[in-house]
Amino acid sequence: MSLFVRRQLPIIIVFITALLVMVDYFLKIEGTSPAVRDLQNWGIILTAFTLGFGAVNLFYLHTRHISRRTRGQWPFSIWLLVMIAAFSIVGVALTPASKEYSWMYNSTYFALSATIYSSTGFFIASGVYRSLKVRNLEAAILLLAGGATLLRNAPVLAANVPFLISLDSWLSAVPTTSAQRGIMIGASLGAIALGVRTMIGRETGFLGRLTEAERGR
Amino acid sequence: MSKQGKGLWRRLEEVPREVLYLLIFLAIIVPTVSPIGLAVPISDEAKAWYNTVDKLPAGTAVFVDFGYSGGGEPELGPMAVATYHHMLRKKLKVIAMSTSLEGPLLFERAMAEVGPEKYGAKYGVDYVHIGYIAGTETAMAAVGKDLRATTTTDYKKVSLDQYPIMAGIKDASSFQLLICFTTGGDQSEGWVRQWVTPYKTPYIANVLALMIPTMLPYRKAGQLLSLTAGAQAGEVELLIKVPGRGIKSADVISVCHLLMVAFVILGNIAYYGRKASGG
Amino acid sequence: MFSLWIFSIAFRDNVFFKFAEHTFVGAAAGHNIVYGVDNVLRYGWTPFTKGALLYVVAFLLGIVLYTRYHKKYFWMSRFPLSVMVGIGIGLSMRATVTAEFIAQIQSTAALKILGVDAWTGFSNLLFIIIVLTVVYFFIFTFPSVHKGNLGIISKFARYAMMASFGYSFANALLSRFNMIFGRVDFLYTSWLPLPGAMVALPIVLILLAYAMIPAQKRPWPKPSKPS
Repeated sequence: MSLFVRRQLPIIIVFITALLVMVDYFLKIEGTSPAVRDLQNWGIILTAFTLGFGAVNLFYLHTRHISRRTRGQWPFSIWLLVMIAAFSIVGVALTPASKEYSWMYNSTYFALSATIYSSTGFFIASGVYRSLKVRNLEAAILLLAGGATLLRNAPVLAANVPFLISLDSWLSAVPTTSAQRGIMIGASLGAIALGVRTMIGRETGFLGRLTEAERGR
Repeated sequence: MSKQGKGLWRRLEEVPREVLYLLIFLAIIVPTVSPIGLAVPISDEAKAWYNTVDKLPAGTAVFVDFGYSGGGEPELGPMAVATYHHMLRKKLKVIAMSTSLEGPLLFERAMAEVGPEKYGAKYGVDYVHIGYIAGTETAMAAVGKDLRATTTTDYKKVSLDQYPIMAGIKDASSFQLLICFTTGGDQSEGWVRQWVTPYKTPYIANVLALMIPTMLPYRKAGQLLSLTAGAQAGEVELLIKVPGRGIKSADVISVCHLLMVAFVILGNIAYYGRKASGG
Repeated sequence: MFSLWIFSIAFRDNVFFKFAEHTFVGAAAGHNIVYGVDNVLRYGWTPFTKGALLYVVAFLLGIVLYTRYHKKYFWMSRFPLSVMVGIGIGLSMRATVTAEFIAQIQSTAALKILGVDAWTGFSNLLFIIIVLTVVYFFIFTFPSVHKGNLGIISKFARYAMMASFGYSFANALLSRFNMIFGRVDFLYTSWLPLPGAMVALPIVLILLAYAMIPAQKRPWPKPSKPS
């Protein structure tokens, strides 16, 4: 019974909820529509609960650094926890739509987020110089396609050399779209297979840690 | 070849990264400080984007997803601003939500830049934001099925019933166009699965340039009416005749890309030079 | 100033970058908590207080999610996860078949090879061949189907994907340069005109350059000895 509750029941829940959501889409059965609507709203609430996991993990990790006085790290860990607390307290108490929270977000999180994303551009550009070399036919094709697109993406060249626009249009419409479509079809078949396997209990990754007894079945 | 020649090729191939970064910094800073005013061609996709919005009659309901994060704001923000200029000028009813955590705050930033008052647009009458809804595709499906059952307030926690714009809005069928600004493939593809496929809602998406290839199959299959990169904001600004941050980036993009082409050529010359010299 | 500190990582790791990095991570986690609470209240508590009493199950499931940190009762978190996984599978599978399988195949099959000009016909034929070879490359994973004469199919698929990746790479550069410009433009147009910014900028840059000197070579602060 215990093994049934811990291992089989979650799989049954996955099967029933997934089936209900799919049936609501393909068939019009009385009563399924309001049930699925509420189920989707529950999904939103559950996802909202998962938003706290990041903070919990960070809390565990950085309190350990602080208690062990990890060299070169523990003052930063204290600051990180202070930031979590500051944002949480102001945001929850005054709501995220408040002026105070907005100021905090714009002066710290937004500036940092925008810059961190953009700083990877330097590393990519450095990679262009060091790694984009014609070592074999595959590299040559990558370089030619990439080079043609680089030239087209420079507005001044595209405006003065119309051939670049035609070449780039062809590159995007034929090899890029077709290759991506092939990848998409393959990935969608994989996703469908994974979904079916999860529903019937052959894929149990979402169960997380399995005990010896659970693994034995 | 002499040892000196071999050393030259090796030194050219192993240029310190600080030198490369400095060149990139200069390529960005110089045209920013002293704009050149280089030409910007308008692509077919930008024209399709403009025309899709332009042909909508006044009073049409449009649903917008502010699905980008702060990291994508420098690229997607100008496009969102330009599109809002266009929509508010055309007196469309714009209802927004966010599938990204930073969406509501970025919506405020965008509106501060647009200045809706100059079009006579009022919050709650001509445009509104119903807030961030967790769950990505779950949120999209829930809103598409029954918006009023999913949320009853806007992002400021004011009841939606108080806003005239929400009259008659109940689900995906209430909207004649869906626009998505996003940095996430989950969102841009999720709208195809959750709105376009079941409800056949016309859909245009503005994504990071690096996401364009993964979205092209949808565009080719007609599931998207227009697919633009944030970097094309300048082109849309030229079409709506409201210059902004998008057009300012054109000079910088031109110079940086020419620098990258130079990097590729130089890198390969150094590589083959070293190989030829027996290094 | 945060922007300058983050950009400094391009040259060398330093204490200002570390400070900015930890600020970002802390702010992100705090922001997640804020919107998590906001969503639970708006989409859970509000309907519950208006009579949707069954929503209490969603609240309980949400709280039970956190039992995954417990040594003994971690298995309880499987129930809310099952609900989420089930909804996710249902939502994605029901539309994936139509949007990413049938629609894509229909679009490919609708391409004309005859009755159009030679270049269009050639392009469409190439398109169809690439789609078929790439699908072959991913679906058939036994090594024997990628060897010998059949290996030509996989090779062709790889060349097509290389062209696609080259296009993607160039677009990635466009994306990143746009983002860098966005920050530089902000620094130049919004930050530098502020009073004191012209004084602060060289000070920040000097401090950054000093922080990038290896700890052993700079006079202060000295690296602390390992305990």
